[in-house]
Amino acid sequence: MERREFLKNSALASSAFMVPSFVKAFENVAKKSLGFKKLVIVQLAGGNDGLNTIIPYRNDIYYKERPRLAIKKEDVLKISDDLGFHKNLGPLKNLYDQGYLSIINNVGYPNPNRSHFRSTDIWHTASNADEYLSTGWLGRYIDTYGKFPYTGIEVDDSLSLIMKGEKMNGIATQNAKTLFYTTNTPFFKKVLKTQEDEHLSEHNLGYLYKTMIEANSSATHIYNKSKTFKSSISYPSNAFGKQLKTTAEFINSNVESKVYYVTMGGFDTHYAQEGRQDKLLDIYSKSMEMFVKDLEQNDTFKDTLIVTFSEFGRRVKQNGSQGTDHGTANNLFIIGKNLKKQGFYNEQPNLADLDKNGDLKYKVDFRDIYATVLENWMEVDDEKILNKSFGKMDFI
Amino acid sequence: MDKKEIQHLYWRAGFGIGFEDLNKIKKKSRKTILKKLFSASEKSKDLAVDLSEYEKSLTDSFKKVKNKTTDQRRKEQKYLREKGIELNQAWIQKMATSEALLREKMTLFWANVFVCADNNTWSIQNYNNTLRKHALGNFGQFVKAISHEASMIRYLNNKQNKKGKPNENFARELMELFTLGAGNYTENDIKESARAFTGWNSKRNGEFIFSRKQHDFGNKTFFGKTGKFDGNDIIDIILEQKQCAKFICTKVYKYFVNPVIDEENLAEITDLFYKDYDIKKLMFHIFNSDWFYDENNIGVKIKSPIELLVGIHKVVPFKFKNYKQQVYLQKMMGQILLKPVNVAGWKGGKSWIDSNTLMFRLKLPSMLLNNAQISLIEKGDIEGTFEEFYQKRKGKGYLKVTVDWDHFEKNYSKSEEKDLKSTLLISKIDVDTDAMLANLQIDKLKDYCIQLMSIPEYQLC
Repeated sequence: MERREFLKNSALASSAFMVPSFVKAFENVAKKSLGFKKLVIVQLAGGNDGLNTIIPYRNDIYYKERPRLAIKKEDVLKISDDLGFHKNLGPLKNLYDQGYLSIINNVGYPNPNRSHFRSTDIWHTASNADEYLSTGWLGRYIDTYGKFPYTGIEVDDSLSLIMKGEKMNGIATQNAKTLFYTTNTPFFKKVLKTQEDEHLSEHNLGYLYKTMIEANSSATHIYNKSKTFKSSISYPSNAFGKQLKTTAEFINSNVESKVYYVTMGGFDTHYAQEGRQDKLLDIYSKSMEMFVKDLEQNDTFKDTLIVTFSEFGRRVKQNGSQGTDHGTANNLFIIGKNLKKQGFYNEQPNLADLDKNGDLKYKVDFRDIYATVLENWMEVDDEKILNKSFGKMDFI
Repeated sequence: MDKKEIQHLYWRAGFGIGFEDLNKIKKKSRKTILKKLFSASEKSKDLAVDLSEYEKSLTDSFKKVKNKTTDQRRKEQKYLREKGIELNQAWIQKMATSEALLREKMTLFWANVFVCADNNTWSIQNYNNTLRKHALGNFGQFVKAISHEASMIRYLNNKQNKKGKPNENFARELMELFTLGAGNYTENDIKESARAFTGWNSKRNGEFIFSRKQHDFGNKTFFGKTGKFDGNDIIDIILEQKQCAKFICTKVYKYFVNPVIDEENLAEITDLFYKDYDIKKLMFHIFNSDWFYDENNIGVKIKSPIELLVGIHKVVPFKFKNYKQQVYLQKMMGQILLKPVNVAGWKGGKSWIDSNTLMFRLKLPSMLLNNAQISLIEKGDIEGTFEEFYQKRKGKGYLKVTVDWDHFEKNYSKSEEKDLKSTLLISKIDVDTDAMLANLQIDKLKDYCIQLMSIPEYQLC
């Protein structure tokens, strides 16, 4: 019998185990108040070079501005008359061929910021370029619609801004067991065991105890659920593959989380871009293919939407050290089973019309994508989460 | 003064007080204790990480600088980045060991008011020392001083602020974040004052330079006054607004007294501060007020990660073999010194706490002092290189620290368990946890120390 069931069934539960009633209330809340849909957000951190990812292989400007870095026509995995995938994105092309991929070009925001940190904050908080918010858009979703931190899991060791809400935050873990044992060290257990919730006040001390109890309960939930399922797929053996495997195990074991966030680093290719981006795209696409396969095998792919973004793209013109500098608008990938719009969502980037820094001009505000995902996929009020109204698109 | 009051004072004006020190002064009057606290912070001693290798290059000719190869530039950046980690460490060390407790605490406070970041470690060390120098001085001079700093001029784009092509970034943040707060000025005030700061620039050696060619000498209208104002005039006009005193006093009150404002107390200190903007007078008044020692103000603040780290250090000093691990701890708790999240700074308070940071903070004492294992896997670091990201990812490990338990033993040799408890915990203690503590089997005082540091109460000051 599972611990949850046991607790529910046993009349003696609270006295026998001295489980604080706060935790008990937490354990008994209705399971499926939020539906089945899951959202996985992947960030290619550092600024992926979108132009060498989805290649405008018939564009003269592209070849002129990147004499050293442009991907040769014959190396491109062509998918339309104008665009094709980087040679290491074969697995992603497989998803494309099955109709599981929608590519949105020219995604960005007005007055783009070229600092990694600032631009990442803007993407995480869904703010304007000149606005500083201290909560993330997934965090606000957790705050508004979730009841527990595990509504949102960041598959990492610490929590990013994207997962932070005003009153409730998501929880970060890439190893449910480690997290469980951290919150369950004998000493912490002792502290929690004796805790009676009537003493929890609204003051800071009460807040600390409440957070500690929530952390413990979330860690317990994630661990107890996820240990019932082990993925049988062999993912590429690298950090990102491992993170996606963990994510699949959470999803396939019915951990009651709604949103996931995974970062893959290393995309800041100011110099010697070629070999490095090749490797990164290889890791990304192979891992992603396995992830989708894993979900499909367990019939959860139909309920999962995967969004991959980068905080910005890179400059059209290559720099002097065989790399590219920070740019602006970029392509973004939507992966899912029943996409309304498969393949390319919109027109390719216009390399003839750049801003004064020589960067691409955005055509799609990333928050339109968020709003669409929130309303059409998560089925919640997007305005409540994004604090204002954004345009809707029709990829899902 | 009673013990609790002294502890409260030392946690707010510094990073806590040890048992021995507490015993030494516990019978003294408030006046004597405050006098000692303030006189110890009279002088300002600079942080001085050795950057001589970089300093040598400051006199290089323009041509030499221009002709640097990419390799040379990258090498220089790497040097400065590594020095940045050293500076982080040196600052922590200074907070933990300096006699000038109040000055150090104030410096940390101001660094989150006049928020600034710079990859050039040499400049940011100068900036940090400017914060330290003015930390207890005159607020008006302080604002002028930071406005002249190379790092600030870079950080808020005043380098790009030129006659005819103003860049408003500095003018906006000066008012929104440094002096008045949003909603207390007009967009026109920003436009006009940005013109007054045109031509404020810095030389490569960090010296301030007023570029007459780039300065807009025309008339500006700011807060209803018209004149050929420059940046200093603008700051003077800002200081004339009582809102400026109120804005700073609000920040001071939340940081040093209570995150929840008492309007009456705030009005009292605002009136005082508005008279001459003397920071030292303001702080003395606060620490000398009876309301400061009100029970509602004691032990109700959530320590920032840095306060937590430095506080532990004061009880049991530790030293990292690898500075980077120290920075890693700060990162996991959400506050890397010298790397503010954005120009608005750290929000503080409850925002320090989520499930992960709290568990990490609770585990910190045993990781630091008792060699507990931690996960050392770094997140996809944005600016790290591919190699850094994919090769240096270690799994679990231990912090490489030397712990000075002798210092602890010396300080607490005459103390009993209850003394240790009352020294380490100043907030109210949860009744259930208190009962649990009472039933703990205590073998060694140092184990008890780690246990006390591992309960939520220790997160408060």
